[in-house]
Amino acid sequence: MAGGGDESTGSSRLTDGGQLYDEYAALLDAVRGIRWPARSVVRGGIPGAHTSRLWGSSAEFSEYRPYRQGDDLRRIDWKLFARSDRAYIRLSNDRSILPTMIVLDASASMAFPVASNGKWRLAAQVGVGLAAVARNGGDPVGLALAGGKEAELLAPRMRRSVIHEIIRAVGTTRPAGNSALAPSISLAAQSVGRLVIVSDFLGDAAEILTVASRLVAAGREVHAIHVIAGEEIDPPHDAAMVADPESPALRRALIAATRDAYVAAYGAWRERIAHDFADAGVAYSVAIVGEETAEHLVRRLTVARGLSVLA
Amino acid sequence: MTLLAPGFLYGSLAIGAAIMTLHFLVTRQPRSSFLPTARFVPDTRATTIAPASRPSDLSVMLLRVLMVVAAGLALARPIVQPSRRPQARVVLVDVSRSVGDTLSLRDSARTNYRDGDALVLFDSAARVIGGNAGDTLGKITPSGSRGSLSAALISALRAASTVRDRADSLELVIVSPFGREEFDAATDSIRSLWPGRARLVTVGARRLDTMASAVGELAINADSDDPLAIAVALARPSVKSKAIIDRAPLRAAAQDSVPTGQSHTASIAGGAFVDWPSRSRPRGAVRRAVADTVGGVIAEDRGVIAPFERHWSFPTDSLRGADVIARWVDGEPAAIERPADAGCLRSVAIPVASVGDLAIRRDFVRFVAAMSRPCARATALVPADANDVARLAGRSGLAPRGPFQSPGDRQSSLAPWLLGLAILAAISELFVRRRARNNTALNGEAALSGEARAA
Repeated sequence: MAGGGDESTGSSRLTDGGQLYDEYAALLDAVRGIRWPARSVVRGGIPGAHTSRLWGSSAEFSEYRPYRQGDDLRRIDWKLFARSDRAYIRLSNDRSILPTMIVLDASASMAFPVASNGKWRLAAQVGVGLAAVARNGGDPVGLALAGGKEAELLAPRMRRSVIHEIIRAVGTTRPAGNSALAPSISLAAQSVGRLVIVSDFLGDAAEILTVASRLVAAGREVHAIHVIAGEEIDPPHDAAMVADPESPALRRALIAATRDAYVAAYGAWRERIAHDFADAGVAYSVAIVGEETAEHLVRRLTVARGLSVLA
Repeated sequence: MTLLAPGFLYGSLAIGAAIMTLHFLVTRQPRSSFLPTARFVPDTRATTIAPASRPSDLSVMLLRVLMVVAAGLALARPIVQPSRRPQARVVLVDVSRSVGDTLSLRDSARTNYRDGDALVLFDSAARVIGGNAGDTLGKITPSGSRGSLSAALISALRAASTVRDRADSLELVIVSPFGREEFDAATDSIRSLWPGRARLVTVGARRLDTMASAVGELAINADSDDPLAIAVALARPSVKSKAIIDRAPLRAAAQDSVPTGQSHTASIAGGAFVDWPSRSRPRGAVRRAVADTVGGVIAEDRGVIAPFERHWSFPTDSLRGADVIARWVDGEPAAIERPADAGCLRSVAIPVASVGDLAIRRDFVRFVAAMSRPCARATALVPADANDVARLAGRSGLAPRGPFQSPGDRQSSLAPWLLGLAILAAISELFVRRRARNNTALNGEAALSGEARAA
């Protein structure tokens, strides 16, 4: 386990960011101590906290194996040799890091509700919280802000200040634009083992699903966090002409006659999205603004769901 | 200012009020807001109509109201009324053959006519004199036609409509010798249509023209076996004036002109030349399409009841400037008289059958004598009955202007300008409406943009 990560998440250390970091201080304190194990064994590499596919020489004993020609003599368990007069190699599971990339959807549809920016704030807090958890677990963490007017990519880093940089990037971003998210996901997924997509999937959902499926097939751990505002599920009963912020020309009358049809259509779409992501092997979760705190969401999302060994 | 057709203005005001009301009823869409999941809302139209405290598109509304009211006012034909004076006159001047003193007639007409009054000259027909009537008054001369007060009174009623707007009350002035022949059965009833008294100015009447009233005997130019010659012989003792009855067929060259030769001599002498052909066409008459039979004919008070076979009729054109001196019992003219030189020419289309006792019947002999009487202008005018004149004068006061209708053909000088104003407002409305629509679209986009910026 990579220790010593907690000191980079303390709110007291982020005094140079001023109010920008105060918003996340409580969250960072709350998620301290949470671990986020990989859903499957990870590839070998730099020693870390996650179970590796490689057998290594760590202190965590797994099993013995008869010595074969070519094995390193230093890995022979001499005490067992003395007792049994047979040469055995002591095997142990290797531990490795899991580079994690948080992809935040910064398109205009995330700036909703307009008054509170609830979707974007929740997405940003979940992203920062998960990044902090991953960083506390010793994993390199990066951030990709996509879907908006300008994409921004912070490559996964293990240094102390990476959370600081992520907060600064998130805090200075205002959701706008309607760029496609899928290309940024493909770019961000390079050389990472875990990918977290935080989005409302109101843009290029089909393309995102295709990219995610390909990443899962390639052995990556993909999380899809669907951010939904309560007003989207249950819009106000007052009649209104609603416009899509990503394409203002799309204006529809949300009135009593159309409200039920809207609720039904949106619900069916959510179910289809969840089903498609689940079928693709993506860890799909729903984050509804106002129903859960970011801390609770982070805790729910980081719960170990069993370890599977990938071929 | 007066409106000739105020209904149009009232209608336009009603339409203008409706336009203003519609501008206070605005069609609204529900408030606009962002919803990222708007694509899941079914595409339907949603508009609501609600009253507004301020009119939508104030400039467009004003232009529309201006257009409608201006058009309505133009169709209402406004006219600017001249200042009214207390009294105006309608002066009827008799220029018929009844007038004997032309100078007196002119003086009386000049005395009673003032600027702004209506002047009507009448004989058998009446005509309203427009423009500078003063010049006309100095040139009026009596015609040879019989006067008709009925025609003059009808024209007076029409002329009153033209001067009613210039005076509070109207006075009818009739300058005439008031002969009996100028009254007819309709005169009293037409006179009763004038709601006021009439001032009668009597001028010198026609007198017996000793030069024109030639004394002589009745002669006939006919065959010896002509039945009319017998009637003429029987009537000759009762005829003291000079008259010649010509039974010869009308020569083609003579046509309808004044006769020559013996007849011409008779005309110059002031006698009557009676063209009474036995079988050919009388002067001025045309052959009837279908000959028919009529049961009698009457001249003045002398009638003859007998079957007459009619072959000729007098068309309307032939009656112009002529007097009908005999009529069939069905009212159709049977004989006419036309002035000719010093005498007159009578055209008689009455067949005299050679079979029967018509020629010797006393009523027919008297009828022939009537056809041979002196020419009308060679006789003295018979004054009208005093009661007829009194009824013509009436007893009430001046006629108020109210009962007279304004003429319907008056032109409004303001109407073309008002129509132009309406057209100009309509064209301006097009541009202003288009600009307002563009502004509305820009405001809608600005509202969403503002919301997006706030987001």
